Amino acid sequence: MRQPGLKPPPSRIRYVSPRFQGPAVLAFTTIIVAGGAIFWKLVDAEFQRVFLHAAIRGHYTFGSAFDIVRDLLVSHLAGLFIGVLLAGSALVLFLVAATRHGIGKAVASLRASADRDLSTPTGACPIGEFERFGEKIDAARSDTLVSVRKLRSEAASLAAGGISPEEFRLRWDELKQRIRGIAP
Amino acid sequence: MSGPGTAGNGSLIDRRYVIGLLLRLCVNFAGGVGLLFVILYFALSRPLPGDYAGVYLALRNLSPFLRPILAISVLVYALLACGSTSALCVYILHKVAGPLYRMELVLDQYRSGGATRTVSFRNGDQLQALAPAFNQWIGTLRRDRHRWLATMADAERHCLQDEATCRAEMEAALRRVAEDMERYR
Repeated sequence: MRQPGLKPPPSRIRYVSPRFQGPAVLAFTTIIVAGGAIFWKLVDAEFQRVFLHAAIRGHYTFGSAFDIVRDLLVSHLAGLFIGVLLAGSALVLFLVAATRHGIGKAVASLRASADRDLSTPTGACPIGEFERFGEKIDAARSDTLVSVRKLRSEAASLAAGGISPEEFRLRWDELKQRIRGIAP
Repeated sequence: MSGPGTAGNGSLIDRRYVIGLLLRLCVNFAGGVGLLFVILYFALSRPLPGDYAGVYLALRNLSPFLRPILAISVLVYALLACGSTSALCVYILHKVAGPLYRMELVLDQYRSGGATRTVSFRNGDQLQALAPAFNQWIGTLRRDRHRWLATMADAERHCLQDEATCRAEMEAALRRVAEDMERYR
């Protein structure tokens, strides 16, 4: 199971994963920026129209320009808040559903591995990080299956006989050593 | 292999965690909108003159500045809301990213042949079901490994007798081990 190509991982633990948190941050940022752009477009057009109308009509009862557009501004801000919140909530629920689906498959795959099924693919959802995680689990399972199959083949070959006692003893000890390497 | 529905997915992400995330986002967005309101209030709250001409001129003069005022206000809102939401996302999602990262480390360690320790996550981390599932798999592998080695050790005890018995017992043990290994598919 030992693969010389793989370096032992660093012991440092970090809890920021750009591959996982990065897309989520980008998606929230897109929602906020889109909401702001729509708000700007709508409010700009409305304010221009309202101020022109107010200038012609002469609004003596209003103390400031803010008083003229207060209701309009409040309704648009409420719209911005509700829009961004709804889109953000939908994104959160999508992320939760994707995580439950992707990691659920990974958990099911690990449980199947405990039943010695190491060949059925994890099939995690095709969202970057979860797919990669599923592939890592599959790679670990595949390595284990290859190791066990090699050991089984060696055991069967030794059991078939026709080997000199010296060679048999040598391969027997080697097989024991290799079995010890399973999940050390 | 059982589907994801049987994996106890409900426990993968706690409902309170999701509600907490939604509430924090709500407060965050409300703060952003409140800030936008305050900026626009200060930008538009200059008192209007009392006479018709004064009001007319003040409002007409406001029009050219309206677009930049709105643009800057929305830009400040977007920057602050994006910044705080990003920080919130990184802070809250680390409870999902952490266990994933930890599991990746353990899987890399396992593949490199290093000693595999029992996996456990921090309190409050999500995806808790991953750790027992992985530990269960490693536990099965270790139990099988012990059984195979015990079978071989049993056969070796017969080597105290004559050579032929020893060889026959060892070959029988190897057949049992190979048969046991066949369960891996």
